[in-house]
Amino acid sequence: MEKFDSLKKIVREVSEKHGIKEYELYYTEESSISAETYRDEISSFSSSVGGMLLFRCIVDGRIGYASTQSMDEGEMENLVLRAAENAAVIEKDDEGIIYAGAPKEAYGKPAEYDFVMPGAAEIREEAMNCRNIMYAADPMVTDGTECGAYAGQNVIRLYNSNGLDLSSAVGNTGSCMAAVLDNGSEKQMSYDSIYNSLGKDEDKKKELAGKIAKNAKDKFGAGSVETGKYNIVFEDKQMKQILGTFLSAFYAENTQKGLSLLKGKVGEKIAADCITVTDDPFCEGNTMQIAFDGEGVPTRKKNVIENGVLKTLLYNLSTAKKDGVETTGNASRSASEIGTRAFSFYINPGVMTRDELLAKAGEGIFVTEMKGFHAGANAVTGDFSIESAGFMIKDGKIGARVKSFTVAGNFFDLLKQITDVGCELNMGGPGFTQIASPDVLVPGMSVAG
Amino acid sequence: MIKKTILEEVLAKAMSSGADFAEIYAENTRSNVIHMIDGKIDAITDNTICGVGIRAFLGVRCVSASTTDLSREGLLRCAASVADVIGDKPTQLDIHLTGRIFPDIHPVKIVPDTAKKTTKIDLRKAGYFSAKNYHEDIAQVSANLLDVDHNIMIANSEGLFTTDRQIRTRMTISAVASKNGENQSGYAGPGRRMGLELFDMISPESIGTEAARSAIVNLNAGYCPAGKMTVAIENGFGGVIFHEACGHSLEATSVARNTSQMAGKLGQKIANEKVTAIDDGTIANAWGSMNIDDEGTPSQKKILIENGILKTYMIDKLNGRRMGMEANGSSRRQSFEYDPTSRMTNTYIAAGNDKNEDIISSIEYGLYAKKMGGGSVNPITGAFNFAVSEGYIVRNGKICEPVRAASLIGTGSEILQNIDMVGTDMETGQGMCGSSSGSIPTDVGQPLIRVSEITVGGR
Repeated sequence: MEKFDSLKKIVREVSEKHGIKEYELYYTEESSISAETYRDEISSFSSSVGGMLLFRCIVDGRIGYASTQSMDEGEMENLVLRAAENAAVIEKDDEGIIYAGAPKEAYGKPAEYDFVMPGAAEIREEAMNCRNIMYAADPMVTDGTECGAYAGQNVIRLYNSNGLDLSSAVGNTGSCMAAVLDNGSEKQMSYDSIYNSLGKDEDKKKELAGKIAKNAKDKFGAGSVETGKYNIVFEDKQMKQILGTFLSAFYAENTQKGLSLLKGKVGEKIAADCITVTDDPFCEGNTMQIAFDGEGVPTRKKNVIENGVLKTLLYNLSTAKKDGVETTGNASRSASEIGTRAFSFYINPGVMTRDELLAKAGEGIFVTEMKGFHAGANAVTGDFSIESAGFMIKDGKIGARVKSFTVAGNFFDLLKQITDVGCELNMGGPGFTQIASPDVLVPGMSVAG
Repeated sequence: MIKKTILEEVLAKAMSSGADFAEIYAENTRSNVIHMIDGKIDAITDNTICGVGIRAFLGVRCVSASTTDLSREGLLRCAASVADVIGDKPTQLDIHLTGRIFPDIHPVKIVPDTAKKTTKIDLRKAGYFSAKNYHEDIAQVSANLLDVDHNIMIANSEGLFTTDRQIRTRMTISAVASKNGENQSGYAGPGRRMGLELFDMISPESIGTEAARSAIVNLNAGYCPAGKMTVAIENGFGGVIFHEACGHSLEATSVARNTSQMAGKLGQKIANEKVTAIDDGTIANAWGSMNIDDEGTPSQKKILIENGILKTYMIDKLNGRRMGMEANGSSRRQSFEYDPTSRMTNTYIAAGNDKNEDIISSIEYGLYAKKMGGGSVNPITGAFNFAVSEGYIVRNGKICEPVRAASLIGTGSEILQNIDMVGTDMETGQGMCGSSSGSIPTDVGQPLIRVSEITVGGR
């Protein structure tokens, strides 16, 4: 964005004029285009280009924030003065830090992907193609089925008074199929997506549609489960949801506020030996890699848990200063604060295949659906009780379909109870934050039917 | 915001492939939030939203696009992306816009943006500390002072060209009372479509005191017993049940798609004859009021239900086309980035004839729900579950001891039939309503009402 370069000059001049020595200008822009189908036509289509300028500055040791979507040059002085005025009234003790900068070689290099923003026609065609593939996959596919395609592009620029000047541009596309299947007496739904396959990978899409239809059909005629303790194999996507729900426990800002039970646990064993958790801003295959965080600090790959031992929390500059450590480059940026975020955050794969995990479980439940984490889980205490569905495991093999039971436990206990981790890690769609896990086996969990 | 000649050119571009209607919605919104916690000003959000949303219709088909690039080229590009998709019949149109001014029925005395920051900080602190100092058991207070200056401009292919300025102010305070390792909370959050003169009408101290008072009542309350009971629901935010369980199903958004239980029921008796329900966007300076809706239609007072009979729906232009009905000033959107659809403004059960004392004295054993909290509704079945944030047992016609953790469980159609007494003192309460077109300010309201029987969840 050339406009940013002219705006940053103005911001620099205005800040100098008003005696503001430490400041940062952050620009974020998202363009997207999407289409959805209903029955046999495109039901909605939208496109958007949205940019936002976020400014912060330090006045007398306090940091103030202001932001605007107006890219008008005349607006810049106002933006700077608003942030300065806000800094003057902030009373919290946190001192603001504008990053001093790092040498060029400290920044990793995101993998380069060819990305050209597709046109409306391509997106429309892709949505209709997915729709046709999904309907052809099974005669039970019926009304209510929605397919779609989207493309998105993100630009980030960061410029500060210490001369730091960084930029990032990434993009991706997705094709989604959400199918409703009707067997005459019951309707069931399943969905999945495939990424960066616009206008190609026809066979993969057919294969995916077949899987979606099978998943929905598998839900027909599900029975119930008796209350008790069961060996549970969590399907990868379900363990991913659990990990994502409790991700914030790994943020230093939460241990410092007393909102995470991992306070004071660095260096201690908090998980089973088979658990290694990594946070990687340069995860292979992710088309949304980024070399700097929300404060401009170089991002880097690190193990958060290594063979069960908590190696580090996730830090930004000010939380790191409080704990007397180096930042891990995990700052997030919003209009009124610096927070914490993860990049590609995942449990590393083990050695067992899904069949081997099921065989080792012997008798138990293979959990393939969990919902309601926003209400049924407490990120502070780690407690969760989640409505689930899946299959009985009988003689080490997948058995009858079951639904409407809750799996309850505590995340911090669960980390210690996992006995085995599957060998396949599916990272899912591209994203600035990705969360992933292989299948895991947890013996003796509480299930209420 | 944008020159008229450019708007005309952009509308023509949006319709250049055969659309039969096009609209530009431009917005410039300043919002300010002063957040306080731990006795200190903790964060200030100071944001300007600025952009344009373009829509085109072809029959009942709608295509939309939005942009923050307000240059002529940026707007034309945005319009072209709409035209590319909506039709395929090259069309050349001349659009002529005529400026229209609608009367401002919500005058503002003190524009928040013109006030000194220290004035707002002082207001914020006055409310905060009145809650904190209310009682020694108040352990924590979290509070926001919000002001929004929302400027919109709407132009469409029918020649409409108009603007509106919507200023809103709100103070919210959440107090936590703590004793013997137990926490209970209380909340107050009045807001109006006006400036800082709000606090001449409702003092910040009274807001803090109300939040803290409610928290202390709950801290000293026992658990509410469960079962079917007669319940009296107090005025003000008590109207949230009508809003959630009935109001949403009267929006054309769901009626036009036939996913509402109220579809096809115009002229039918859907509620007790004591119930008259109104959606009124014209109430001077009310939180959910407006001069015009987000399609430029003047706001209206709509009687939705009259003496139990369903009279009309809340309708926007696109769903009006689908239903063969006229839009009635109900189209709303959070910002230019959302497509507008039919939404509520200030929705309430109108005052009736029953005296408050008669309502309470008619209850032999039941619950008096003085303050309602949040809840959820299953849109398909109409089943709802709402928390009572301050409740009391009614025994032999008298309000007795407070009870905590009560909830009201029922369905929309059932409660509408069971409202059998309606009081005289209608009050409103403020909320932010979330739906497909984003989060918008709405008032809920009602007088004290009696529900002859409803399931009370407790322990």
